[in-house]
Amino acid sequence: MERRQANLLLVLICVVNIHWVAGCSSDASVTITTNIPNPLIEQVPINVAIYYNDTMSQYVHSEDLGSYGNHTIDLRSQISVFNRIFDAMFKSITPVDSIDSAQGRSADAILAPSIEKFQFAIPEQTRKDFYEVWIQYRFELYGADGSLIHSWPVTAYGKANRLNYGGLQSEKSPALREAATWALRDAAASIAFSFARQDVVREWIQQRVAS
Amino acid sequence: MMTKRIHIAFVLIAMHWLTGCVNTTIQEVREASTSLNSKESIVILSRKHKTSGETEDDFVGCVSNKTSGGEGALSVMSERDFMDELFPWFEPRTAPLNMRELTYVISRPLISEKIQAIGVRYLVWVEGTTERSEESGALQCTVVSGGIPACFGFLSWESGSDYEASVWDINRGITVGKVSSEASGTSIVPALVVPIPFIARVQNQACISLAEQLKTFIGT
Repeated sequence: MERRQANLLLVLICVVNIHWVAGCSSDASVTITTNIPNPLIEQVPINVAIYYNDTMSQYVHSEDLGSYGNHTIDLRSQISVFNRIFDAMFKSITPVDSIDSAQGRSADAILAPSIEKFQFAIPEQTRKDFYEVWIQYRFELYGADGSLIHSWPVTAYGKANRLNYGGLQSEKSPALREAATWALRDAAASIAFSFARQDVVREWIQQRVAS
Repeated sequence: MMTKRIHIAFVLIAMHWLTGCVNTTIQEVREASTSLNSKESIVILSRKHKTSGETEDDFVGCVSNKTSGGEGALSVMSERDFMDELFPWFEPRTAPLNMRELTYVISRPLISEKIQAIGVRYLVWVEGTTERSEESGALQCTVVSGGIPACFGFLSWESGSDYEASVWDINRGITVGKVSSEASGTSIVPALVVPIPFIARVQNQACISLAEQLKTFIGT
């Protein structure tokens, strides 16, 4: 009986060890399904058409980190995040299929956000406690006639402390999802604050409102 | 046989008492009086803008839970609910870092109306971490004759918690004071065939002490 229990214990130890070893190269595939709360921001009194290119609306980042596994982050829900912040920022928003669309010409301006860079890091790489996500967006504001008014970068960053998830490999996906969620919240906050702080944009808004 | 079991139980209880001992130091600096009526609440927040030394989420959750329970409990709004209600003004990169910035934020009608509506009177900013240090000893596990696994050795480490809570009065736009909680203790894992961990729960003790002190500090 004792021998049987000892053997069971050994099997258990082996399973745990195999889990640890396998954990070093675990894959992660996460889909971000977040949205942001209702933003408390002052509205800019303009009607804006919004254009997302295909890369932006279908963005899924896949990266092979070698011994750390394959990682896939589905960021397509960023469109609903941006729509929500734009809805709070402007008097009205209209989604358009292209910058030259007829609907865009009836708006005061066309705003075209695009994604330029996406990076992430996991604790095994950085030797820190954080899962981190960086996103660099570019925002382009066009007039109703299709001329470029201004273009500026917006960076977003989110992190999740692995210690909040027990520090286990099996918690990689939730931690990565949390980091990406915070990055999207940060993107929304950054665009809300950065839009009217752009000198060119501010002057254009003042002229538009005055006319 | 019975006497032997009693001896073993006694040794185990004694060891638990020894290792369960955590030293805690609480300090308080008051700069202004405080009061909280039945319609007002507080929110306990952690700084998230740093790349290292970030306060653990579970510590902030623990302090919130302990402050909102037991004798002298205060009404506490959760950190996430507060951030959501005031989005995007209290995000990791946008949260006010000092009273001047807070005054600027709450001077906006949208923000002051929302704060009035949710009834938050005090913001408690918690900073600090729990860290391990002075690890020593070794523990080895092997399979002895008869196929029975066994561990032998002794591990020990020091843990230290150091947290500070800064209390801001939103109504008056002033810092009303600071409360700090330090806790330290030694954890040991003796192993004679079976490893028996005796963990000093310093973070939990720091949480309990800080929460009790916050109740006294704000509630009086």
